[in-house]
This record gives sequence, C-alpha cells and structure tokens, in this order.
Amino acid sequence: MNETPRKAPIGHPIGGYVPMVDGPEKVSGRAKYTADFIAPGTLAGRIYRSPHAHAEIIAVDTAEALALPGVLAIVTGEDCERPFGVLPIARNEYPLARGKVRYKGEPVAAVAAIDEATADKAIRLIKMRVNELPAYYTAADAMAPDAVQLHEKKPGNLERQVDFELGNAADAFAAADLVREATYNCAEVAQNQMEMHAAVADYDAVRDRMTVHASTQVPYYVHLMLSQILSMDMSRIRVVKPFVGGGFGCRTECLNVELIAALLARKVGGAVRMVINREDTFITHRGRPETDIRLKMGLTKAGKITGVACDVIQRGGAHSGYGVVTILYAGSMIYAIYDLKNVRYTGKRVLTNTPPCGAFRGHGTVDVRFAFESLLDEMAAEMGLDPLAVRRANYLQAPTFTDNDLMVNSYGLPECVDFVEEKSGWKSRKGKLAAPGPGKKKGLGFACSHYISGASKPVNWTGEPHATVKLKLDFDGSIVVLTGAAEIGQGSSTILVQTVAEVMNLDIGRVRIVSGDSEVVPKDNGSYSSRVTFLVGNAAIDAANKLKALMIAAAARRLDAEPGDIECLGEIYRAGAQDKGLTFEEVVSEALKDDGTITVTGNYSTIPESHGGKKYRGAAIGGTMGYSYSAQVVEVTVDEETGEVTVDKVWVAHDCGKALNRLTVEGQIQGSVWMGMGQAMSEEVAYHDGLLVTANMLDYRVPTIQDSPPMEVGIVESNDPHGPFGAKEAGEGSLAAFLPALTNAIADATGLRFNDLPVTPDRVFAAFDKRERATRGKRGGAT
Amino acid sequence: MEAVSEFALVKPASLDAVLEARKANPEAQLLGGGTDLVVNIRRGIVAPPVLIDMTGVAELRAIHADAGRLEIGASATLAEVAEHAGVLAHYPVVAQAAASIAGPTHRQMGTVGGNICLDTRCIFYNQSEWWRSANNHCLKTVGDMCHVAPKSRGVCFATYSGDLAPALMTLDAEVDVAHPKGRRTMPLKDLYIGHARHDGSGTGDGKHYLALKPGEFVVGVRAKGVSGLRSAYDKIRIRKSIEYPVAGVAVALRRDGDTLADLRVAITGTNPRPVLLDGTRALCGGKLDARVVKGLDDLVRDQIMSMKTTFTPGHYRRRVAGVLARRLAEKLFNN
Repeated sequence: MNETPRKAPIGHPIGGYVPMVDGPEKVSGRAKYTADFIAPGTLAGRIYRSPHAHAEIIAVDTAEALALPGVLAIVTGEDCERPFGVLPIARNEYPLARGKVRYKGEPVAAVAAIDEATADKAIRLIKMRVNELPAYYTAADAMAPDAVQLHEKKPGNLERQVDFELGNAADAFAAADLVREATYNCAEVAQNQMEMHAAVADYDAVRDRMTVHASTQVPYYVHLMLSQILSMDMSRIRVVKPFVGGGFGCRTECLNVELIAALLARKVGGAVRMVINREDTFITHRGRPETDIRLKMGLTKAGKITGVACDVIQRGGAHSGYGVVTILYAGSMIYAIYDLKNVRYTGKRVLTNTPPCGAFRGHGTVDVRFAFESLLDEMAAEMGLDPLAVRRANYLQAPTFTDNDLMVNSYGLPECVDFVEEKSGWKSRKGKLAAPGPGKKKGLGFACSHYISGASKPVNWTGEPHATVKLKLDFDGSIVVLTGAAEIGQGSSTILVQTVAEVMNLDIGRVRIVSGDSEVVPKDNGSYSSRVTFLVGNAAIDAANKLKALMIAAAARRLDAEPGDIECLGEIYRAGAQDKGLTFEEVVSEALKDDGTITVTGNYSTIPESHGGKKYRGAAIGGTMGYSYSAQVVEVTVDEETGEVTVDKVWVAHDCGKALNRLTVEGQIQGSVWMGMGQAMSEEVAYHDGLLVTANMLDYRVPTIQDSPPMEVGIVESNDPHGPFGAKEAGEGSLAAFLPALTNAIADATGLRFNDLPVTPDRVFAAFDKRERATRGKRGGAT
Repeated sequence: MEAVSEFALVKPASLDAVLEARKANPEAQLLGGGTDLVVNIRRGIVAPPVLIDMTGVAELRAIHADAGRLEIGASATLAEVAEHAGVLAHYPVVAQAAASIAGPTHRQMGTVGGNICLDTRCIFYNQSEWWRSANNHCLKTVGDMCHVAPKSRGVCFATYSGDLAPALMTLDAEVDVAHPKGRRTMPLKDLYIGHARHDGSGTGDGKHYLALKPGEFVVGVRAKGVSGLRSAYDKIRIRKSIEYPVAGVAVALRRDGDTLADLRVAITGTNPRPVLLDGTRALCGGKLDARVVKGLDDLVRDQIMSMKTTFTPGHYRRRVAGVLARRLAEKLFNN
C-alpha cells in the first residue's frame, strides 16, 4: 500500500530545446531525398526549354531526337492539353508549352532516355520553329497600351487589379500634420533552397497506377494536379514526399517538373527521374516579384498615422501562379500590425515574359512592409520623433478586428519593441555611435513586421476540416503520428511529435511520425503560409486528447474506477496518488482488447470570424487565426568611400505566441533575418533580354556565413487563445523587418535613404558620389 | 546536376610524364584543383577529352619562402600558400591574396598554377550552354560578337579575376614555363597579354589572355626578397566569401625615412589582364602626400578599364580600385 509510486516521465517536451526528430538522418547523410529514389531501370528525364521569350510555336521537331539510340520517349505540348495552376480561378499554364511560349526557359519538350548523357544529346537535337512576338521584361512595358497580350483572357496583361479604400485617405491626409510620399523598388528574389527540384515518376501500366516522389511542400496539390494533367482518377495516384531540402515558398504549388516527369513515365510505361540543375531550378522560379511601390502617409505631431495610400505594381512573370493572392496580401497586410484607419490601396499584378513568380517566404507582405517602415522612419526623423514612439502611438489593442475585418486576438508587438529597445541600448546609443575609422560611419535602425499563422481558408477548400491528424496505437506501445503535413526542414514533424507527447504526458521517444505519403497519411494542404504548427498542431492536440481518453477509459476498466478518477502520468495511469497504478503497456493491452489496433482522428478548423471580410473582392486573403509580430534593431557600419555596408549586429524579438520548441523557433527567426538580409543587401534575379543572368550561386548572392552578423533573439509569448498551447507562427514574420531596419540604420549612419533594393556597395557608392557632387556644385566648385 | 562530358583522367607523377601525356593528347587540359575548370566543363564551355591531373607531381607542390627568395610550385594549394609561415612573414601580400580567394574548400583544392592561369570571366560567358546558345554565343566561344561591347571589332573584354597575380606582380615575380624542349622564365606581367585595345592593336584580349604557346604550361613562380619592402592585398566583393573580386588591389612600397622610395600597384578584376600600374615610380621620391594620392588615382583612372563583364557596374569597380590602392599605400607607408 505504501510503495512509492513508479516514477513519472521526466519533463515535458513543449517549450524546451528539442533536437529535430529527423535530424540524425540528415546530419549522417542517410536521409533519402527525391533524387535518391533510383530503382533499376529508371530512365533519365530532361527538359528542352524555349530560347524565345514570347513566340507562337509553329512546330516542335523531335524526330531526330527520338531516333537517337537510347531515347525511349519524348513529350511535347501535344501530349497534354490541360492547364494547371494552384488557384482554381487562374489555371493557365501548361506543363509543356502549347501554342505559345511566354518566357525564356519555358519547358517545350522533354526526353526520357537510358541515361543523362543520352537525354542531353537528344535535347540538342530538338528543334523549334516560331513566330517571334514582342517580349516584355518590365511591368511598364507589358502594360503599355499597344502591348501584345500574353494570355488571351488577360487584357492589358493585367493578371489582377485590386482596389480598395476603407475610410477616406484624402481627408486623413488633410487632417495630418505631416504628409509624405515616396517610391520604392524591390528587385525580384528567388528562394534558392539547397535541394534542386526533383521528381521521380513511376507508372505501373498493368494496374494503371502512378507513383510520384516529389520535392514539394504540398503533396496534396501535386496529387490534385497530377490527376488533372494525366486525366487519371485520384485513387490511381500516389504522391510521396520524402526528405525535402527546403522550399521557402517556391514549392507551395505543383511545378512543371512533377507533371513532366509523370507525362514521360506514362508514355514509356516505366519510371523516370527528373532532377533539374541549379539554373533550371532558378528558371522554374516562383520567387518574390519585382515590386514598385508608391506610398503616402499622414502623421500627427504625436506620431499617430492618420491615413495611408499605397500603389503596388508586381512584375508577376508569364503565368498566374499565386499572383492574385500575392497582390491581395500586399494590400490586406498593410493592416493587422498597427491601428490604421483610412487606407487606400491599388495593386496591379502584371504578366510579363519572365519566369512566373510565386509565394516566397513572407508572401506578398515583405516589400510593402519595407516601404511602410521606411517611410515611417523617415517621417519620424523629420518630425523629431523617436521611431519607437511612433510605433507605440499606433499599437492595436487586442482582441480586435481591423478595418478590413482581420481578427487579432493576441498582440505581442509591444513586448517585441521593448525587448530590442533594451537589448540594443537604443536610448543611449541611437544617433550617438562614434565613427569607427576614417571614411566610416555607424548607425542603428529599427523596424517591425508581422505575418499570418496559416491562411484561414485554403485555396482548394472542399469542405472538410482544415487539418486532420491520425494517431495509431498498437501492441508495441508506440504511438505513430500519421500526417500529411510536409516536413521540409522547418521542423513540423518535430512539433507534431512534441505536441502528441505533451498531451499524453510521454517522452517523445514513444512517438514516431509518418509524414507525406498519400497511401498512408491523411490529406493535408501542405506547408505554406506558416499553417502547420497552428492548424495541424491543433488537430494533433485533438487526436491526442481522444487517444488519452481511450487510455483513461481502459485504465478505469482495469482499475475498477471511474474514468474521472484516473490520473494520467504518461507512463503510469493510476486512480489516486496512493495507487501503484498501471504501466502504459498494461493500459495499452487493456485498450486493445475490444477492437485491436487503435486509430484516432483529430481535426481542426478555423473559426468563421477569422475568414476576413467582404468589403472588397478578395478581402478573405490575409485572414488567419493569429498574427505573429517582430521587431528588429540593426547596427551597421557604412564605408563611405567604398560603399560597403557591414551588419555589425541584429537584435530581433518575435511574438510566436508560445515557443513549442525554442531550438527550432530560434533557428527560424535567425533564418528569417538572414533571408531578409539577402534580399536587402545582395540578392537579385536579373535578366539580360529575358535570359536569367544570375541563375547560379555565384551571381545570385545569398549571404555566406562570413556575412552573417551576431544575432540576439528574443522570444515573446503572447499566448494566443486559439493557438496550440498558445502558439503562433515563427518561420516568416521576422523576415520583412530586417529590410527597413537595415536601410533605416544606413540613413541613421549617413543621412542617405535607400529606397531601392538590394543595397549593394555600388549603389551606396553612387549615392555618396551624387551627394558629393551636389555639395561641390553648391559651393560653386564643380568642374 | 549537369552530366559532365566524358574524359580520360591521367595522373602523371613527374614533369616528364606530364610532357609526354601532353604530347600524346594535344587536346588535353591541365587539371589542378578543378575549382574553375570542372565548373566550365559542367557548363559545356569546354569539353577536353583528356584531363592531366597535376597534383601528383611532387616537385610542383613545393613552397620555399625566406627573406631572400620566394618560390612556389604550380600545384601548391592556395591554402598551403596562405598558411605558409615564410610567405606570411616575408611576402604578406601573397599570403593575403591567397587567403582571400573564394572559400575555404576552394582554397583546399585550388592551386597556384590554376589561379595564375585562371580563365577570364564574363556574365555572357560563364553561363550554361543553353543560355549562351539562346544569347547567340559570344566572341570568347563560337560567336562573332562581344555582348559587353558590341562594336568592339573582334576584341573580347572578359575580365581577369585571379588574386595571386597582382600580389606577385608587385614583387616583380617571374614565372617558370615548361615546354617540350625545356623551360623558359619570363616576368609574370608579360604572361598576361589581355590589353584588349579597342583599335585592335596588340595581340591579346579576354579570349587570348596568356602568352603561352601551344604545349607550354606554368610550373611555378618566383620572386626575390627586397629588404624593407612592405606589401598588402585587399579586395572588394559583394559577399565576404566565395566571390571573385569586384576589384582586387596589391600594393608594395618601400619607405626611406619620410620618403616614399618605391611604389608598385597591381589591380585585378577589372581588365582582361591583371594590371601593374605604369608610372608609380614617378610618384616616389617625396612624402606620401596629396600629390601622390592624386597621382595614384589618376593612374588608376587612366589604366583601369572595367566593362560590363560582371553584374557590378564597371564604373564602380574602377573607382573603388582607386580607393583601395590609396588606402593600402597609406596604411603600408604609415605602419
């Protein structure tokens, strides 16, 4: 009777520093990525790409290539007349061009051959005859009145124009003490994830089944598009997402790579492996569009924003992709960070003869946030106000709904601002940093940003719950999480394992996870818009609670007690503190008695209040269950003679609601800052006559570890009422703030504002040169 | 990944064996660390049927560096040069240049010979076969125009970007060249013939940038120690690792009391050759004052001709080369 109860499990996994559950495979090289699935007999797939930017296809001659020994099949646009696209309202892209090509590099034909060298040789034998059309590489050229249309149904080459005005911006400017307007240009950027796009498609001609391994963030969308493109019943298709080497948004829609591999596989009746190289991965693109912004803002003497007018033009590339959503985000997410009234927005998404853009990390929000935080900083300086005080004058009071009906339940921005203010020594150091040497200046800059925790309405909503997780418990006493949530390196599998372990009060060692195989796991919309932790995490909690209830009921039966009297200690279930209790295994064996193996299903759906409003067409975009917030201070040294900018330190605070895993949350925040640094300082997708000229890792300048500044990360926990354990997103919200914090710091150091990104040394140098010449001119000493 | 074209790999153990292998395979190319050549093979820029791996020739891997002389074999790695105590002590400009090249893994593999003979670069040239073909090729390969300067009348402006050459040139280094009948030695600066004169005078440009005759190859570099010579290397690049120089500058000078007794400045990453500035000695004989600074800047502006061969504007590269030259000269003079 007085025996000491057996020991409860040590600690709870939520909130700690938990190494990634799939880390050992990755660091030991055992992880298998799509390119590693090479079964005997697998053919090599290669794509023939258009050398023309805009042209009518007269003929694609593949006869000579097909005659080459070792070539087994060639597909062209003739092999597939159905278009694809992530948005049901905008499917206008073919896996292989039909009728027209619209950008240099667009897939026109593809070869399956016995090896890569043969496939390469065959590609060189393919010939294409065309009628060249005028090509447009800038949004302005594409919108010119006499421009030829890229797509029949898109007059003016306008993919979508978004207009709204909530309140009255003109009146608000009239009521302001200071009104300023400025223009901004952000270069196109690409994700450049480590793993190049890959797909292995295996067609079983006997059973008419297709299996596709793909490097994707959205196995379900790939499944959907394969069915559409192949005209195959979905039940005949299996999509497997093995280990994936990042995505950052370029894989949040089905890409042509998967579809072309599948078309080839079906044609040869076998397996085709398509691994495209770095250049072609760049050309497949889906990055952040080049964006031009004109922003106008009114401020009172107290720093209160009276109104905002924002015009945005995005060079979207040759096809729709996510374009409509991107241009809507750019407008809707002006809100939900500050208390704004009187906002007018015009957004134009333009079709151009460049690779299609997509949903880059911070989708739609980053460039507008850069402009907003830059102008706010500039106006604060002009009025002699502290930039932090200006933000404080405009805080939201949660819970609230914004003017565009976005639901804000938790709001940790004030704590984020406080953190970076204190840690950076803002009050004592801002504007007072000594020059570190001749020709060099130092400065501090500040900015904020935010992001959604999952779009509250999926793009392909068919009515079922927004997230579903299944748990399987069997004789061995292990719990297996079955989820379609795509682990792409961001840590979703770790979070789901932790979540189940936390609810069940178990060590994570008891929990395994299977993710991303349509044959086994429940459907999931995938890893995008930072939805997994919030939506799938809540579904996992639901599932774990159901499983726990079954275990408690079983324990009650064995202990002859009421379920309400059972205490679950994870490894021990007992009826009261003096009860020796049952081991987990004993409870499992009792629980299995009736029906054998247990599976439970957990679900989660967003609430209607989170679905945004109807005040303008597309106003649902921006709706989410919870917004993350971020504040940053950046310290720079600027070399006024060479134009070099060095980031000395970054202080960043992120409100993620609750850090379920501090290790991965910190990593995500650092990664966001670092990616923002690339966009702000060195990265640019550039074209020469429509040819992507920076499609390699030398000319596309992702920062190296040598460029990475020390970062001090603060985690703010605002405990969202709907978030799993209070959590919100952690992987995107801290990207945008870096950009304006950097240029604000440069302005602090030098007095010069940089509204065009990236701020490369030659641009800084040119600005100093211009200022020096202007100064000399005033002195009358110009020569 | 791109499939690499087929080639045979030969790994001779002696210089004689290298010469024999070359004789047997006139189309062969020499392979050091492969950090440049293999990339170019993957891009279909070159497709040599035979590669002669030079790293097995022990005599080409030696480094000797003391106050009297510097000798480096062509197959010494960049990392070995950067870390060599004698080089660091007596020829800091060379150690600094080597340490600044690309990233650590490139320096482990890359060799001195490879860096000295580094192929010239251009955004219209260092692209895939598909890209170059879609852009109608260029002078440096099989095309008939230079996209950098369409009116160049057959002159290629691809840029020389090696870091070691300018450093060695400020030491008046010589280069040892082997050929089937023996060896010859010439001033390193004469190895580079990429003058790329718009008027077509002179022989070399970005395409023909080395003074090597068929069958010749670089086996090492040498320089004499000069008492009191101070030297340093610095470069601008957009990122602090991996990249080729936007502009790289080597300076060596001697100070005699308050007098600038000798000054040599060499610049890379701008022209189709590394440029040892002419006229620096005329700036010597007095203090390092405003006159010298102005004079140096004028020399840079006159002799540095950076075109749109990189993604970074040529104007910036030329101007910033002048800034680095002045800063290095002042630092060396005052320390």
